[in-house]
Amino acid sequence: MEDYIVEMRHITKRFPGIIANDDVTIQVKRGEVYALLGENGAGKSTLMSMLFGMYEPDMGEILINGEPVKFRSSNDATAHSIGMVHQHFKLVDNYTVAENIVLGVEPMKRTLGIFPSVDLKTANREIAELSKTYGLEVNPTDVIENIPVSVRQRVEILKMLYRKAEILIFDEPTAVLTPQEIEFLLKIIDGLRKSGKTIILITHKIEEIKKIADRCAILYRGRLVKVLDVQSTSSQDMANMMVGREVDFNPTKTPANYRGDVLEVSHLTVQNANKFDVVKDVSFKIRSGEVFAVAGVSGNGQGELADAVSGLMKVYSGSIKLCGQDVTNDSIRQRLESGISYIPEDRQGVGVFLDFTLGDNLAIRKYYKQPFSQGGILHFSEFENYADKLIDRYDIRCGQGRKTSLRSMSGGNQQKAIVAREIEEHAKLIIFVQPTRGLDIGAIENIHKQILAERDRGAAILLISLELDEIMELADTIGVIYNGQMMKIADASTLTSLDVGRYMMGVKEA
Amino acid sequence: MSKQNKPQTRQKKAWFSALLDSEKWNGLTIPMLTILLTLVAASIILLVMGKNPLVAFLSFLQGSGFFPKASYGGGQGILTDLFNFMNILAPMILAALAFVVGFKAGLFNIGIAGQMLASGFLATVIIGYSGLSAVLAKPLVLVIGIVAGGLLGALVGWLKYKFNIHEVVSTIMLNYIISYLCGFFINTYFADSLTRSSKICSDSARLTWTNVNIGGVKCNLPLGIVLAVAAAFLVKFIFDRTVFGFELKAVGTNVRCARYTGINVGRRLVFSMAFSGMLAGLAGVTYYCGYYNTIVPKSLASMGYDAISVALLGNSAPIGAIFAGILITIFQYGSNYMSSTVGVPKEIASLITGILLLFSACGGYFRYMAHRRLEREKDEEIEASRAAKSAGEPAESPNAENREKEGKL
Repeated sequence: MEDYIVEMRHITKRFPGIIANDDVTIQVKRGEVYALLGENGAGKSTLMSMLFGMYEPDMGEILINGEPVKFRSSNDATAHSIGMVHQHFKLVDNYTVAENIVLGVEPMKRTLGIFPSVDLKTANREIAELSKTYGLEVNPTDVIENIPVSVRQRVEILKMLYRKAEILIFDEPTAVLTPQEIEFLLKIIDGLRKSGKTIILITHKIEEIKKIADRCAILYRGRLVKVLDVQSTSSQDMANMMVGREVDFNPTKTPANYRGDVLEVSHLTVQNANKFDVVKDVSFKIRSGEVFAVAGVSGNGQGELADAVSGLMKVYSGSIKLCGQDVTNDSIRQRLESGISYIPEDRQGVGVFLDFTLGDNLAIRKYYKQPFSQGGILHFSEFENYADKLIDRYDIRCGQGRKTSLRSMSGGNQQKAIVAREIEEHAKLIIFVQPTRGLDIGAIENIHKQILAERDRGAAILLISLELDEIMELADTIGVIYNGQMMKIADASTLTSLDVGRYMMGVKEA
Repeated sequence: MSKQNKPQTRQKKAWFSALLDSEKWNGLTIPMLTILLTLVAASIILLVMGKNPLVAFLSFLQGSGFFPKASYGGGQGILTDLFNFMNILAPMILAALAFVVGFKAGLFNIGIAGQMLASGFLATVIIGYSGLSAVLAKPLVLVIGIVAGGLLGALVGWLKYKFNIHEVVSTIMLNYIISYLCGFFINTYFADSLTRSSKICSDSARLTWTNVNIGGVKCNLPLGIVLAVAAAFLVKFIFDRTVFGFELKAVGTNVRCARYTGINVGRRLVFSMAFSGMLAGLAGVTYYCGYYNTIVPKSLASMGYDAISVALLGNSAPIGAIFAGILITIFQYGSNYMSSTVGVPKEIASLITGILLLFSACGGYFRYMAHRRLEREKDEEIEASRAAKSAGEPAESPNAENREKEGKL
């Protein structure tokens, strides 16, 4: 009889229109690192949200230490020594590290022997000790908004440990980290395992699982495909099981064939709403047939760079030229018309109208032109033909065809729709910002192929990504941005991912 | 016997839920359910007060000219009531449309009352006192209504675009400014010495043909109602079929994406508020130079605010506004007669309107509940068929259990 610390038996969870989990059973042994692998929308996060008490399963039961439990809220889960680090950190930005950690379970004292108050001194001391024990360096008195993402993640981990969690759930913990930080995190996870904690790791990155996990459960479209031993399975097999078909790991990238200059950015400076320079004196060129990738840690000005080129943000100084023509002061529509396509980072907030149908969303680059409209009157038959064509050509999966509301579609298919719409413009310059964020291997592979196809067609590609792997795989030229400045621009073949990682941290050239 | 009956009732419930949930029909079924619930709630209140709700509801309809009253005054008849009803309905529909247009573009125009007053006042003063003949005066009144309302709306949109002043704030302020400004001019220059409200607008400028004899009864024929219905279809056409409407909706649902698409968001904001203001202006002239022919200084028409409820009750759709307008106006306009026949204070009408709005705000919830019920039933069927397969038993027993569970819930 195995010693299972967590058992989830025959779990089914249904949301309007989809079955997120369909009769899933997993058993986690005490003291192991158990990975949950699956595409986006495979139901990993949903399954763990139920273990953490955020949803209740429609069917099935959960056992902790062999005891059946029913969690009505995450407080119940915490009481059973379960902790979770969410994909989007749940921290109070203007509180200190210690305040965030003790929030909800504050050590109390009585000031002047009467008034109950939070004993921050004790908290600071306890947290300093805890961070030393697990090698999670933090300064308890730092304010959250002043510390980098990787430290915030450590705070989240400490939050669990402070609550004496034995079962630690990590939801996509490496998505926001640089390669160096990922190494560090994996070491921490290993350390936690050695000190006897049980770890459940949600991820779609197979290499991490290979490095750290003992066993791995693969979910595909809400169903459990297989639970396997990580050591004895190849990465390729795992990838195939996860996507449900054969995956081509290395898309064949033909040698670059540069033609004339398409985009020329010179001495570009962009200010944010607070008159603060977020892009500082940036200059670069992109040629036809070139993928120019901007690497950098999130929030270093790359989003603003893309917005400035597409016209969403005003240029403070400097100039932007498209095929020799100065577009610095052109309106957004003029730029789009002169040959820019833009896949924005915030796909739901900027890229689509969630309340419109898929068909309308596919037409928003064309609706005001013939034959989509004439004399101000829309021609819906044209909308329909166009939508059907794109849905078919780009394999956009949607419940009710072009009439599907965008809101009801999965993130991956929303992204497919945006990419389809923008690529169909056959623009001279295509800006991709985080094109594969939150997507699964299958979808990523697909989008990468499309990026390369557009490059081979002769488009200039400006790719902005936080995923270093993606940049190394696709880029012809790499520019590293740090604190609004271009630290380095070089041919991709001359840089290793460690070099790029170093520039991303702000290290100047030696 | 009971076992045989139960599945049938379940089927009926599922049918009901399916109707509420269906994309095609819920535009009709949800409001119907809302009205039904309102009538039930209102009946309970009337019963508690010791009155017969059926008599009360009937007298609302009689007061609005949908059913004949027991007796009429000299020269009056059911048509008199019906035309008067339509006369007050017209500005209500136009005002609701004004709100719908702003709302679709993401703007909350609560300055309808002010826009109505300003256009009504200008039309009265410029045309209503001019002595022009009807052929000239009536179209000019409409033009002034459209222009005055449109300019006021455009001002609000421009303030929002240029200075980022929220339209709710600026319209509330403008309501006061307009109200006191018009009040000042009326009191100083245009007051009727007897009534202290403005001197009456000439019949030739009025958008109502007064005292027309139809079949021996005197009626006031409203021109505005034709305009209102036409406007509703025009608004529907603009939003459903035109580039302009498409862009307004785009700006309304997601400003950031609208900008990304290349839509000139600022210009669309100004246009949509101007459009909304034009409709409010039309509502103003059909109200002050149509149903009424005088303006009471320093007071805003409560219709400007009621129109918001009507628009929302009509699911912020132009055609919905017609039906919602009819419904609310029946309660409001019919309340006088209801009050005199049943002996209930006419404020009960406002109470019923309030209940109606309360239930209509729950429309989304009703639909969600219906959807949940259907989902659950689907689950049960799957579970039942699974259980039946695995145990080799007839599907009867798990079904019965589930039914019990449902009963408890």
